Amino acid sequence: MTNTAGFLRKHWKGYAFLIPIFIVLGTFKYIPFFNAVKMSFYDWNGANVKEFIGLDNFVRLFHDDTFYASLKNIGIFTVSGMLIQLTVPLIAAVLVFHVKNMKLQNMLKVWFVIPLVIPSIVIYLTWQWIFAGEYGVLNQFLEAIGLDSWTHAWLGESKTAIWSIIFVNFPWIGGITFLLYLAGLMSISSELFEVAKLDGMNAWQRFLRLELPLVRSQVKLVMVLTIIQQIQSFENILVLTNGGPGDTTISPALYLYTKGFSYSEMGYASAIGLVLFIILLLLTLINNKFVKNTDKID
Amino acid sequence: MNRKLLALPHYGSLALLLALTLFPFYMLIVSSVKYTQQAIHNFWGISFPLHFDNYSVAFKQIGPFIGNTVLISSGIVVGVILISSLAAYSFVRFNYPGKQLFFVLILSLMMIPGYLILIPQFLLVQKLDMLNTYQGQIFPPMAFGAAMATFLMKTFFEGIPKSLIEAADMEGAGERQIFMKIIIPLSLPIIATVAIINFLAGWNNYIWPLVATNGDAVKPVILALSTITGNMDQGVGVKLAGYIISSIPLLLLFVVATKPFISGVTSGAVKG
Repeated sequence: MTNTAGFLRKHWKGYAFLIPIFIVLGTFKYIPFFNAVKMSFYDWNGANVKEFIGLDNFVRLFHDDTFYASLKNIGIFTVSGMLIQLTVPLIAAVLVFHVKNMKLQNMLKVWFVIPLVIPSIVIYLTWQWIFAGEYGVLNQFLEAIGLDSWTHAWLGESKTAIWSIIFVNFPWIGGITFLLYLAGLMSISSELFEVAKLDGMNAWQRFLRLELPLVRSQVKLVMVLTIIQQIQSFENILVLTNGGPGDTTISPALYLYTKGFSYSEMGYASAIGLVLFIILLLLTLINNKFVKNTDKID
Repeated sequence: MNRKLLALPHYGSLALLLALTLFPFYMLIVSSVKYTQQAIHNFWGISFPLHFDNYSVAFKQIGPFIGNTVLISSGIVVGVILISSLAAYSFVRFNYPGKQLFFVLILSLMMIPGYLILIPQFLLVQKLDMLNTYQGQIFPPMAFGAAMATFLMKTFFEGIPKSLIEAADMEGAGERQIFMKIIIPLSLPIIATVAIINFLAGWNNYIWPLVATNGDAVKPVILALSTITGNMDQGVGVKLAGYIISSIPLLLLFVVATKPFISGVTSGAVKG
């Protein structure tokens, strides 16, 4: 056994420094992860009833209308999220980037990211107030400009609820996307802009031929981040509508939460989580294969 | 001439976008100092007298929970920095079999989304008798922050000249001295970034405390926001005042540490 002793004497320091992190990760991430996978094959209420049922949870899931409704909803969230993140924050970043006065540029940058600094729950609660049926900001505005007939209980009606959730944070600039685009623009060599000026390009041509192609790695990154984020939509929906009315705004993560904690169907909830995780994993693999190579951010 | 013509739409659209971005916060602020009657008569503007008493009423309801949140968030920050900097040091300083594997094991955790392990984590914390405790709100989020932090710190430590460490080694400094006297003092920028990412995450945590606590003893302020109430006269103003109070600490952090704040939120986003 001298071999083991010698090995340890030589390497113990390297392993010793890893012990704390693996105690924490082992307890609070690895064990729960394996339990989540295991539980998805059980009928389990979290306490006394626990029975192995094989793939029954998954079979049931693929016949569950609410689950399909939730997939449809995150489809809507993802597509609209991508359209939003591709347009307004990019336009804002270009506009801020071309402000010549550096002091003003910096000030604009700081003011635009204020929503990022506010706790996200405060943002959701504020927008809940904006969308409120009675004395909500949006309805008050519509009444003030004489469009009384356009008022709605925005979050409470099935036709408007999902679009209201998407509308939160309008005009959608105050986020990470804006900062990523801006960083991308700043890394473009200033000589290129000189050339564009000499060529007599107008702002639109410059945007199409110079800025858009040169921030494409940021655009890709933003797309990936948006997809991952939207698929996991949870807190915003929980706070704003709790998935309602009916199933019109429910997301898979929120469905998991409801099944697990309101109905104590812990096994079924875990199956939902596992399917969602596999979808995300596949998307990440696709991303690593086709997109990641060109990513660069600073 | 051409330039001036272009400047108008440029600055005009910037001004419009900025106004739209900040408008909700303007409404939040002016409405937080109104009573119900003032809001009915003057919904959009500033209305006198300014009812700062809304703030004291709101603070009475959420004040104690701000202390809880500060304690929990700070606990997460200290824990993450401790375990992640030790791990990063191990990866940069030593060579041993399985090093790459351990690193991948830590990094791959970033792939596991929070909701997937929400239920087993709840059952675990219940079994460990940590429901309704501070540590129950510190350790699981700490495990979430550690992977990203290890990655960031490892990258940063790799940029510290090896010659510095070797020189200290020659002079007979132990690992503890090298770590405390060389690595940590040189790594303050990345430590600040990691601290801000995790402080923000701790402050914003909503789902986990919702699941892992009930009652008031260790409740964080974010959970207390939905239960703020004012009387008939005060109306919604008290609620809005509470929203603002709970945002002030993060705003202050942003003002005093704008740079690490921005690099923190952007590098934190890329973990997906």
